[in-house]
Amino acid sequence: MTWLTWRQFRAQAITAVAALAAFAILLAVTGPHMASLYATSGITGCHGDTCAGLASHFLIDLTSGRGFPLLPDGTNAYVILYFLSVLVILAAPAIIGIFWGAPLIARELETGTGQLAWNQSVTRTRWLVVKLTLIGVAAMAVTEALSLLQAWWAAPIGEAVGLGGSASIMSEGRFGYFVFPTHGITPLGYAAFGFALGVTAGLLIRRAIPAMAVTLAVFAAVQFATPLWIRPHLIPPNATITTIEAAQANIFPTGGSTIAAPASRVPGQPGAWITSSGAVNAAGQPVTAPAACASALPHLLGPGGSSRWDNCLASHGIRVVVSYQPVSRYWPLQLTETGLLLALALALAGLCFWRLGRRLS
Amino acid sequence: MTAVIETDGLGKRYRKLWALAGCTLSIPAGHVVGLVGPNGAGKTTLINLATGMLAPTTGTIEVLGGRPASGPAQLARVGYLAQDAPVYAGLPVADHLRLGAHLNPGWDAEMTRHRIDQLDLDPGQKAGKLSGGQRAQLALTLALGKRPELLILDEPVASLDPLARREFLQDLMETVAEQQVSVVLSSHLISDLERVCDYVIVLVDSRVRIAGPVDELLATHHVLSGPRRHLATLPAGLKVISASHTEVQSTLLVRTSGAILDPAWTVSEVGLEDLALAYMKQATGRGHRHRHLEVQK
Repeated sequence: MTWLTWRQFRAQAITAVAALAAFAILLAVTGPHMASLYATSGITGCHGDTCAGLASHFLIDLTSGRGFPLLPDGTNAYVILYFLSVLVILAAPAIIGIFWGAPLIARELETGTGQLAWNQSVTRTRWLVVKLTLIGVAAMAVTEALSLLQAWWAAPIGEAVGLGGSASIMSEGRFGYFVFPTHGITPLGYAAFGFALGVTAGLLIRRAIPAMAVTLAVFAAVQFATPLWIRPHLIPPNATITTIEAAQANIFPTGGSTIAAPASRVPGQPGAWITSSGAVNAAGQPVTAPAACASALPHLLGPGGSSRWDNCLASHGIRVVVSYQPVSRYWPLQLTETGLLLALALALAGLCFWRLGRRLS
Repeated sequence: MTAVIETDGLGKRYRKLWALAGCTLSIPAGHVVGLVGPNGAGKTTLINLATGMLAPTTGTIEVLGGRPASGPAQLARVGYLAQDAPVYAGLPVADHLRLGAHLNPGWDAEMTRHRIDQLDLDPGQKAGKLSGGQRAQLALTLALGKRPELLILDEPVASLDPLARREFLQDLMETVAEQQVSVVLSSHLISDLERVCDYVIVLVDSRVRIAGPVDELLATHHVLSGPRRHLATLPAGLKVISASHTEVQSTLLVRTSGAILDPAWTVSEVGLEDLALAYMKQATGRGHRHRHLEVQK
């Protein structure tokens, strides 16, 4: 069975290795230059308040693309590479689900070759065990390899962001929508889930092309929904009530007298992931904008307007409630999300075993 | 005589449609058995149940005394050539043999290699580039390579041209004689089976209309023709399978164990095809339930 799996998977495996090699070369060629920029930025050896400034400076330098090898200044090559590499890792599980997963059983059903494969002296269960295990492991290995390569390449960016470097499009913390699912162990979970999803869709729909489309749609939906509605609640978030100033909240009206209060930091919790925030009164209940502050509103965008507005709100006892995941929960969240995805993948595989064993024609 | 396939009240339902219902039959070992029936009679469904590709909705089926596809040992005993002889289009002929060798503990490498040589198949050629006849031969080689006790073929020649059809069946007959394997093959073309089968089962609407060794069936069925007469006046011991009448003459297909002595009748032999068709026609009077359902794949 191992031989047959390899023989049928060979072409895809070669494609995957070639793609992985191209990715590695692209990053290996540009990585050392970024590391040298980091080394000369003065961040190493900084202390105290200067670090954030130097880190921001380094990120701005990167963003501007100054001194990038072979390319004229201002091509934003690092920004392009950064997002390209992240998108490759985000897309890899979907591509695997579409091209490895969906045709795995659907093609056998479509062409009738399943009748051949499943009438050798090997049960369908064993056929599926070997196929799912070998190709599933390959899927996880490829995706994790992409992730580790990117993590190595982007290490200076991560460190600069960790030191408080901001002001760049790449200044995304470890909990960022692009960073979290592409680093650590989550790529393993997404790869397993994407592959199992493709296989299941292929078995249920029985035709490869529609199964590919369904795989893409479902995977994209899961990838989109996870950071918005699932990840923040994997572990119940902490909440704290603080002043507008301490939370660096940017309170603005959202129609009528309702106000939004997106906070950008949690006092005493550097690097925490803010999952939600809102304006509350001293008793901690949600509030609307006091009528007295309405006069400050028209000047909000003028010089000094925002502090006048903020002061007015503060003087009416308005504070900000911030829900957040402390930075110490990075690995617990990684583990939970990966575990959830692996459990989903196993459940889908179980469905495949049941369905394939029961009836086919 | 032991049975290679034994079913009892076997039924398979797809959503609301029964592709096979209440099928009870026993296929004896040591024969080349032709499973004949019109499209939609349930032949392919029966075969899919026998190979374990489907699980029955009702009833039971035993193949060589075991549950179909219940394990590697059971799978090893049954060779199967599916309809349209599926092979991996992208894999060369040689890789198909390798596949068989890897997946079957009882693989007969020498025999399969010999067959491929004899069939003049190029081992390096992709199976997708083979002609229909060659593809069927390759698929048959794979089915035979595990040295099965029972070989099941579903409409093996339906998609072949007349020449390839003849070659395939001839090759099949030679191999069967060599390997002493029981064979069940389905077809809706009785003329194909006439040449190769020594046992016939006519399946109509999931029901066995008649089953038996070909020579016995031919010996007990006769065509009578003579002046038009009321059927009630026929001698006892005759069972009329079909009857057609003109103004003055009646032609009957009858089943009888004894000789027909009435000089008013001209007695002649019946061919297998006419015999089977008569039984199929006889059945069409009742139960059109499944006729419209050609087998879903």
